[in-house]
Amino acid sequence: MVTLEFGLMTVDRGRVREMMGEVMTSQGRTLPADDTADLRAIGFRSLDFSELALRVEDELGDELNFDAPGLRRIATVGDVLDFIEQLQTA
Amino acid sequence: MTPRRRTTALIGDDNTVVVAGKSLTWRTLHKLPQLPSPAAVLVDNGADALAALRHHAVHGTELLVATSSRVDQRMREELGESGFAIVLPDGEVTPARLKRVEESGRAWLLTSGSTGRPKRIGHTLESLTTVTGDQPPRTWLLPYSPGTYAWWQVVTLSLTHADQGVVVIEPDELEEWPSIAATHGVTAASGTPTFWRQAIYRDADALAAVPLEQLTLGGEPVDQAILDQLHEIFPTARISWIYASSEVGASIVVHDGKAGFPREWLDRAPDPDRPILSADGDELVIRSPHHGAGLVGAVHTGDRIEYDGDRVLITGRLDTDEINVGGSKVSAGIVRNVLMGHPGVSWARVFARKAPLVGRMVAAEVVPNRALGPLTNADLVQWCSSRLPDYGVPRRITFLDEIPQKETLKSDV
Repeated sequence: MVTLEFGLMTVDRGRVREMMGEVMTSQGRTLPADDTADLRAIGFRSLDFSELALRVEDELGDELNFDAPGLRRIATVGDVLDFIEQLQTA
Repeated sequence: MTPRRRTTALIGDDNTVVVAGKSLTWRTLHKLPQLPSPAAVLVDNGADALAALRHHAVHGTELLVATSSRVDQRMREELGESGFAIVLPDGEVTPARLKRVEESGRAWLLTSGSTGRPKRIGHTLESLTTVTGDQPPRTWLLPYSPGTYAWWQVVTLSLTHADQGVVVIEPDELEEWPSIAATHGVTAASGTPTFWRQAIYRDADALAAVPLEQLTLGGEPVDQAILDQLHEIFPTARISWIYASSEVGASIVVHDGKAGFPREWLDRAPDPDRPILSADGDELVIRSPHHGAGLVGAVHTGDRIEYDGDRVLITGRLDTDEINVGGSKVSAGIVRNVLMGHPGVSWARVFARKAPLVGRMVAAEVVPNRALGPLTNADLVQWCSSRLPDYGVPRRITFLDEIPQKETLKSDV
């Protein structure tokens, strides 16, 4: 967890990746090290994404605002990490 | 003398039916061999469900069709005792335990009761066909699980009207349905708000490439944000939301792009072709001409309403037992029973937690039985995964040190 200069807390990218790995492990799968890995290929599905968001919310102690960011494509591990990062600063 | 069976005019028999990427028609769909009647046909793919439906329509048999995962062993036995032969996905037939005369033309739907045990609701193709009159030519997406009310709505429309094709989406195709829909020229699609949200979040560009003229939302509360997002992507399409259930049929249809329905629709003058909507406290009550067998009169829907200016919003279930995870429904009580069945669990509470993409996820609080050693999150996930569908497995489990006081006083977990 790091603190932004205006006092808000955020979960850093490395920690989000770690949590993503925990989600995968609890489903009996492994998160590859490569950020370009395709979500469909590694079996990271909607339920997994939702669980990751809840884990981030729990660590933040706050809800993520999914209505704020624009519409976008989420196809790779890196896209998920970017998106969670974007949600925290939205 | 054998009573004459009720059959249905298959006006749509030459409509296109796309299954597993193959373009067929209702008429050229594969045939299921020797279906008994009454039969509960349990399927593991959409094509077999359509074949069972067409057989029912042609021969006037008595049919219940459902995915095999929805009908557990106990329910199969109950169906057998109620006179249904059970037809499994591999074609194996278990004869009915009770021999009885079929109800020709009867179609049975399974719904989820407040306790999570599905109830059987009787319909006919006529009572399930709520769309009448000439329809503009359309190709419909069929993403619904076979045997649900929404599935019956789309398939009866296609089978009984001209120029209404269907493109079947199997469960393993759900995450990439927009590309399949674009390939086959789908112009109309019906899904839950969660279904649409997932499509937008996954790949809005792929969704926008589908030539949709009609978008329909239903099956869970429809909020203004999702209606607005869809309008932004499909500015010229008609966007409708429907309130429908196995019990009361399609009872509220709203085309004005707004969440909720006009307050003036409550307690309107009776009309034999139109459902009568009313409120009992904060519960929606419906008298519907499209009701299931034996459900004449006012039906208390169990859905909560709220007033917002001149609109009436439907906000969710009064009974919180049912957890809707992305359109798949699971009973909190059943999940709790599974958790409590673990030898290391002393107490559990199961509840819905708001989550992105799927709307709600199953969460739980657990008090471990200390005498049996440490209990981990992974232990419980594994235990539940082998006993529940994936959407019913609690994704966030909190361990408590002691049973909350409330549990000793009440049983409202």
